[in-house]
Formats: sequence, structure tokens, C-alpha cells
Amino acid sequence: MPLHSRSHQKKYARPPRRVKLPSFFLAIPAWAWLFAFFVAPVALVVWFSFGYKPGIFGTHANDVLSLDRYAEALSPTFFATFQNTLWVGVAGTLICLAISIPFAYWLAFKAPVSRRGVLLAMVMIPFWTNFLVRTIGWQIILAPNGLLSNGLQSIGLLDSPLEILFTRTAVLIGLVYNYIPLMILPMFVAFDRVSLPMREASKDLGAGRWSTFINVTLPLAKPGIIVGILLVYIPLMGDYITATVLGGAKGNMAGQMVANQFQTAQNWALGSAMAVVLVLTILTTVVIAALVSWLATWPVRARQRLVLGGTS
Amino acid sequence: MIRTSFTDISLKVWAVIVFGFLFAPIAIIIFYSFNEGRLLVSWNEFGLGSFATIVTKPAITNAVLVSIQTGIIASLIATLLGTMAGVALARRAGKWAPWFLGLLILVTVTPEIVDAVSLLPWMVFLGQDVGLSVFNDGIVRLVVGHSLFSTAVVAYIVRSRLIGIDEKLEEAAADLYAPPFRRFTQITLPLVMPAVLAGGLLSFTLSLDNTIVSAFVQVSGTTPWPVYVLSAVRSGLRPEIAAVSTIMLLLTLGALALVAFVLRRAGDSATDIAKTVGGG
Repeated sequence: MPLHSRSHQKKYARPPRRVKLPSFFLAIPAWAWLFAFFVAPVALVVWFSFGYKPGIFGTHANDVLSLDRYAEALSPTFFATFQNTLWVGVAGTLICLAISIPFAYWLAFKAPVSRRGVLLAMVMIPFWTNFLVRTIGWQIILAPNGLLSNGLQSIGLLDSPLEILFTRTAVLIGLVYNYIPLMILPMFVAFDRVSLPMREASKDLGAGRWSTFINVTLPLAKPGIIVGILLVYIPLMGDYITATVLGGAKGNMAGQMVANQFQTAQNWALGSAMAVVLVLTILTTVVIAALVSWLATWPVRARQRLVLGGTS
Repeated sequence: MIRTSFTDISLKVWAVIVFGFLFAPIAIIIFYSFNEGRLLVSWNEFGLGSFATIVTKPAITNAVLVSIQTGIIASLIATLLGTMAGVALARRAGKWAPWFLGLLILVTVTPEIVDAVSLLPWMVFLGQDVGLSVFNDGIVRLVVGHSLFSTAVVAYIVRSRLIGIDEKLEEAAADLYAPPFRRFTQITLPLVMPAVLAGGLLSFTLSLDNTIVSAFVQVSGTTPWPVYVLSAVRSGLRPEIAAVSTIMLLLTLGALALVAFVLRRAGDSATDIAKTVGGG
């Protein structure tokens, strides 16, 4: 089939290489959409955070601007929740990392190639069940008279019912479960990109399995691992639904605090300040983690750079 | 004979454990959907009663329908906007591109609860103060809330797919006098189709699962399924919820198989599909 009809040929005497439209033309709709429903509302919330709650019935007022809501959001009662959230967020991400690295490695290098697609789809299956419903599944498993508890007791590993539900451990299990596919997937893609010849070359040069993994595979897969960490850490910090189902009264997360201020306490100014603090906490910890890992690996990188320079 | 080392075996054992972990709660939910008891979490006896009850409760079917409807519209919007943005980023990146990419990253790193608390006052403002009554509609609110994150995700996926494809194909079409729109529909679009499909599917799933934003922006009467379940968590869970989940899981698995089939017909290997979905 010809790509053009006669009328088009007449219209375009010369190849239309340069279009008059600006280069960002195709991005305009997305830009406008995100501006109207993301930038503007978030800016509004940032503006609310400098205001105050004017009375029992008002939700926010901005005639006097101050940083008082931030001081309130960081007062001891609320600060403890931020601390708890940060602890859960960091611990959850680290556990996901510890589980995902060997698993994604196996999937990329050891699993049978023909079945890889099915195995990947199986990793995604939790995602096709509702987030809340699978968390409820954990509630059934972890209950003191539930399956895990009874099973462990019957094989004699436990003498009394399992007291894990409505603790921070249960919240951690649920969070790791809910977000781990988001880490496995990009990590698999990253490992998969590290070509076999590259790893074989490392082995030919005398490096063992472990040394190849540390010095070749892992550094090459770094971008994917970073994406995985961010994809898990950020939603984990904002999630409070998992904590509501599995943590009971002990499942205090910052997201719940923000939600409470908007839904129950009707203090939008304080809720906004908390939301801003939450975002800042996430950004700061990500920057700190990046700096720390950059500094920690600096001696290794410096040494490897020298080796490479010497041999070339 | 290939020697199987200790590391290989332990990696395999680990993989089996991880799969067990991933499937445990889902298996439990499917099993408990046959619970005849009054409460979901306390097992009584085996039966199909919960599946029969679904039909008699309009609130449940209504919630599922709202979710599906929202999912379809939100994923269509996100796919349309995201594909256009992704093509622009890959093919026409100018000085604006880093800024736009920055905005997309900002959308992705903002926790859902922040989106939720920002959208609620904004919708009230647009619907009541500005007088755009369309924003008082439940479905519209949900669609807007669900489309934001997905738009960014689709844009990433489409961009990374196009960056991996040589632009010479489009240039050849231009040399053959194909006008820009035609070039887009006949060359660029077929090339990015796997990414568009993967992005659309991901958007639909994210929308079906969206709880936090939905709980904030929803209007009574258009309660989506996750918000219905959330309220049930507070008031007492009944086996029907597990039954609906079992049905929905089967339906999504069917849809997934269909998409995988289409993508495979289009010539992508399973790993390529995963790479596309994973944004690689």
C-alpha cells in the first residue's frame, strides 16, 4: 500500500522534514492535564500548610501566614509517628532488597528460558488481586488461631498461639508482600541486560562466581536496582491501608495521620503541613541514601578505575 | 552432564519459597471464598453460598462496575496522554524535555496520600466555587485521580521503547512524502504499540487497585470496589468479598493472557513484554 495519496503529494511538494509545530506539541495535553490536576492541587496544599484552623467549623484559613503548623506537625506525638513510618519504610525496603536480589538473579540467569515469561507473569499475579483483599489474606494467615499459628503448633515449633497479628512485624510482612513485585520486575530487567559474554569474560579473567557478581553483574545492574528501591520505598512510606488492616492500633503511619487531619479532625492546615513533611522526609532520605552509597563505594570505584586505566 | 552447584540449588529453593510467599494469601482468599460462615475470617464449612449472595447485593455489583468503568476510562486517558508525551520525549526532545521529565518524576514520587488530600479540596473548589459541575460527578473525580500516576508511567514506558528504535524509519517515511500525521499513525504508532498496550494494561490495573485517592475523592453513589472493601474491613468482612475477588482474579488472568497473546503475535518474546512493562 502506498504511504501517500495523490492529494497529499500535491500538498507536500517537498518532504515535510520540519514541521511548523513546536517540538513539545505532543506533550502539551499531558502537561496541561498534570498541571490542572497535580501541580495546582499540590500547590494549594502547600499554601494551606502555612495557614491555620480558624475555629471548630472551619478547615483552613490563610490570612495569617506562619510556620506554626510545621512546628505542630513535628511536635513529639506526631514526630513519633514519622519516626515509626521511617523505620518501617527503611526496614521494609531493605527486606524487599534482600529477598529480590537472589530471586531476580535466579530468574534472569538460572530459570529455564522458555518458562521465563510465565514465571514473570506469576510474579505479577499478586497485582491482579485487589491490594486490600490480599492484605486481608495475610490477616487470615497470621491470626492467633489462623493457619500459620495452628500449623506451627501442631508440628511442635510453637507452644502457644502466634502473637504476630496487630504488631509491627505483621505490618512489615504485609508491606513487603504488597510492594515486592515492584522491585523484582525492574531488577530482573536490569540483570537480564547484563550480557552473558560480559560475565564469561570476567570468569575467563579469573574471577570467581561471587567476585563476578560483586564486580561485574551488580554494578551493571545498578540503575534497575535503584529504580526498584524507589518504586518500593516511596509508596511504602505513604501507605497506611496495609497498616490499618494488619497493624491495628500499633499501625501508626504518617499517611494515616494526614488522612485523619483531613477526614476526621477537619484541620486541613495541619494535615497539609504533615503531607509536606512526609514528602520532604522521603526526598531527604533518598538523597542521604544516595550520598551514603556513593561515599561507601568510593574506595572500590577509585581502585577499579585505577586498574582499568593501567590495563588499557 | 552439567554439575549442579550448591549455589544453584539454594537459589532454586529460594525462588520456590518466594513464589510460595507470593501465592499464600491469594490461595487463602480463593479457598475462603467458599466459606459458608457469616464472617470471612472464621471458617465454617465449604459451600458456594457466597457466590450466590453476590447477585443479591446490588452494592457489590455496583462497586465492581464503577471500578471497571473508571478503570477503562482512566486507562484510556492515561494511555492517550502518556503515549503522546512519550513520543514527544523520545523524538522531539528540546529544552523543555528535562523540565517535563522532572514533572513526571515528581508525579511518580509523590505518595498517593498527598495526591488524595490535594485532589479533595481541588475538586470541591472546581465543582462548587468555579461552578464546573462536571467535577461533582463521582466517575469524573475517580478518573482524574487515577489517571495522574498512570500518565507518567505510560510516558516512561513509551519513551524508553522509542529510544531503543532507530529514528531512520520515520525519516524514510518522510522522504517518501508521508505527511506528519500519517507518519505517526503508520510508522511510529505500530512501533510503540507493545509499549502502549503494556502501559494501558498497567494503568487499568493501577486504577482497579487504587484505594487511597478513591477514598478521598469518591462521591456517595459511585463507590469503587476497593473503597467498598475498605469500609467492610471496618464494619466486618463477609465471604462475598473473597468470592468477588476470586471472580475478578480469573477475569484479569484471562485479560492478561489475551494481551500476552496479542503481544506475542506482534513478535515480542515474553522477556521483551516484561521489559516493556518494567519500563526497560
